[in-house]
Amino acid sequence: MTDLALLLLYQALFASVPILLASLGEILTERSGVVNIGLEGLMLLGAFFGPLTADFLKYRLGLSLPDPLWPLVALLASALVGAVVGALHGYISTYLAGDQIISGIAINLFGAGAVAYGIQSYWGVAGYKQVPDFVKTDPTAIAAFALALAAFMWFLLFKTRLGIVIRACGEDPEAAFNMGVDVDKVRLFATIAGAVLAALAGAYLSIAYLSVVTKEVSAGRGFIALANVVFANWNPALAVAGAFIFGFFDSLSYWLQTLGVARYELTRIIPYVATLLIVAGAIGRARPPRAVGKAFRKE
Amino acid sequence: MRAGLDIPLAVAAAFVVGALAMWASGYDPAASYRSMLLTPLMDHVYLFSALAFSAPIVLTGLTFAVGLRAGLFNIGAEGQVYMGALGAVLAAYLVKGWAALPLALLAGISLAVAWAVVPALLKSLRGVNEVVSTIMMNWIAYWLSIMAVSTVFANPLQPEESVKTPPEARLTPLVPGTDLTLAVPIAYAVAALVYVFLKYSVWGFRISVSGQNPLAAKSYGISPGRAIFYAFAVGAAVAGLAGVLQVVARPPSYSLARNLANVYGLGFDGITAAMLGRGHPLGVVLAGIFLGILQEGARHMQIEAGTPFEFVRIIQGVIILFLAVRILRT
Repeated sequence: MTDLALLLLYQALFASVPILLASLGEILTERSGVVNIGLEGLMLLGAFFGPLTADFLKYRLGLSLPDPLWPLVALLASALVGAVVGALHGYISTYLAGDQIISGIAINLFGAGAVAYGIQSYWGVAGYKQVPDFVKTDPTAIAAFALALAAFMWFLLFKTRLGIVIRACGEDPEAAFNMGVDVDKVRLFATIAGAVLAALAGAYLSIAYLSVVTKEVSAGRGFIALANVVFANWNPALAVAGAFIFGFFDSLSYWLQTLGVARYELTRIIPYVATLLIVAGAIGRARPPRAVGKAFRKE
Repeated sequence: MRAGLDIPLAVAAAFVVGALAMWASGYDPAASYRSMLLTPLMDHVYLFSALAFSAPIVLTGLTFAVGLRAGLFNIGAEGQVYMGALGAVLAAYLVKGWAALPLALLAGISLAVAWAVVPALLKSLRGVNEVVSTIMMNWIAYWLSIMAVSTVFANPLQPEESVKTPPEARLTPLVPGTDLTLAVPIAYAVAALVYVFLKYSVWGFRISVSGQNPLAAKSYGISPGRAIFYAFAVGAAVAGLAGVLQVVARPPSYSLARNLANVYGLGFDGITAAMLGRGHPLGVVLAGIFLGILQEGARHMQIEAGTPFEFVRIIQGVIILFLAVRILRT
C-alpha cells in the first residue's frame, strides 16, 4: 500500500513538471506587469517544434550528432520558438500598448492551428505523431531542473536587486520609471523568459513525458498553469505546491482509468474540475501585481 | 484612419504570413489561395456551403461580442456549443417525430446556459478569471460529450455518429442539393436580435455601462455582478443554439459526430468573427460570412492544392494578433 502511495506521488511529480515550468514563467512575466494567457499555444508550439527540428536536422539535412545531444537540440529549438513568440507578445504588450488578452488568445489560436497544420504537412498524418526514439529523453533531469528553477526564481524575485526592479515594474511602473528603470525593456525580457519556459513545458510533454505530439497535446495545461499562478499568489515557492496538487489530480485520473473505476472520459474530467474548485477557493487571498495587464505609458 | 483600415490591413498581413508558412512547408501559396478564396464563389453549391459554415460562426461570434460588451473574455462558446449539440441529441434520443425540434432547442439552450452559470458565478462571487474557468468548462464539456456520444447516444447502425434527429424534426436544405438550411437566416436574424438587445433593452444598456466602467455602473445602481451574469447567459444561449443547429440542420447526417467534428473549434472561430466584426453584431455577420468562405475554401484548397485545411486557423491567429495591437472597444 505504501508502495502504491509512493508510486502515485512519484507520478504526480512528473505530471506537475509542465504546469510548474509554465507557472514559473508566467509568474515572472506577470510580476513584471505583463499577462500572457497564450501559455497553451506556447506549450503546443514547443511540443511540436522541438521534435520537428531534431527530425528535420537528422533526416532531411543529414546532420549527425552524438545521440545524447538530440534531446538538447529539441529543447533548444522549442526555447527559440518560445522566445520569438514571447518577443512578439512582449513587444505588443509594451511598446505597442496592445491588448494583452487578445494577443494571448491569438497565440493560442495560432499555436493550435500551426501544430495541427504542421503535423499534417510535415509527417503527413492527421493530428497525432509518435515522437521518434532518438529525440526522447528521461523526464527526471527536466523535473530536477524545474524544481531548481523554482528555488532560483524565488531567490531572484525576492532576494536580489533585479527582482525588486522586476516587481516594481509590475506594482508601480511610474515609480520604477522615476528611479531610472526602463520599464518596457524589463517587461519585454520577462515576457520572453516566461514564453521560453512555457515552450519548454511543451517540449517536456512531447519528448519526455508523453512521447507523442498531437494537436491537443497540452490538453488545457497552459490554462491550468494560469490557475496555478493565482493559487500560488505569484510566489514561485508556492507554485511548486500548486503544480504538485494539479499534477496529483492529473495522474489520479490515469490511475482511476487504469483501475477501471470509471470510464476514461469521466476520469479525464478530474483535473479540470479540481482546477475550478482550487481556483475558486484560492482566489480570496490572492493579490495580483497591481499594474499587471496594463501597458505603461510615460506622461 | 485607424477605424477604416486596421481590419483590411490585419487580414492582408495574415495572408502574407500565411503565404510564407505555406512556402516554408512546401505548398504552392498562389494555387492554395486561388482554391481557398475563389472556388467557393464559383458555384452556388459551394457558396451555400460557405453560408452554412458561417451560421454557427456568427452565433459563437455573438457570444464573444456580448462578452466583450460586458468587459468579459468569454471563451466558453466552444463548450457551450457542445452542450447545445448534446441537448439536440438528447431530444432525438427521447422523442420521435416533429416534437424533437422544440425539445432540442429547449434542452440544448438550457444545457448551454447551465454551462455558463458556473463561470458566471465564479466571476461575480469569487472574482475567478473567466478565461481559465471557461476553458475548464470547455474541457469538461468535451469529455462529457465524447462519452455521451459513444455510450447512451451511440448510433448502433453508424458507429461514427450519434442517434439522428427524426426526419420530421430536421431543418432540411432550402435549395435541394445544397447545405443551405434555415440555420443560416436564423443565425443572421439572431444577430439582429442581439443588436436590438444591446442597443435598446435595459439589460443591454446595463451590460455596456458596467463593461465600460463597473464603478460608474454601481453608482447608477447597476449591479456589475448581474450584468456579467446576463452577458454570460445571453452568450451561452446563442452558442447553445449554434450547437443545436449543427445537429438538427446539418445535412446529411443530422447527428453529432463521435469525434465532435461538426462542432469542434466553432467557439474559437467565433472569437475571430467577433474581433473582425469589431464586436458589433452586424459586423460579426459579415466577418462570419468571410470566415465561412475561408472554411469552405479550405476544403477545396486541401483537395486541389494539398494544403491542410488547418491552415485557416493559422490565418485566424495572425489576424487576431494584428488586431490586438489596436482594438476598438465601443
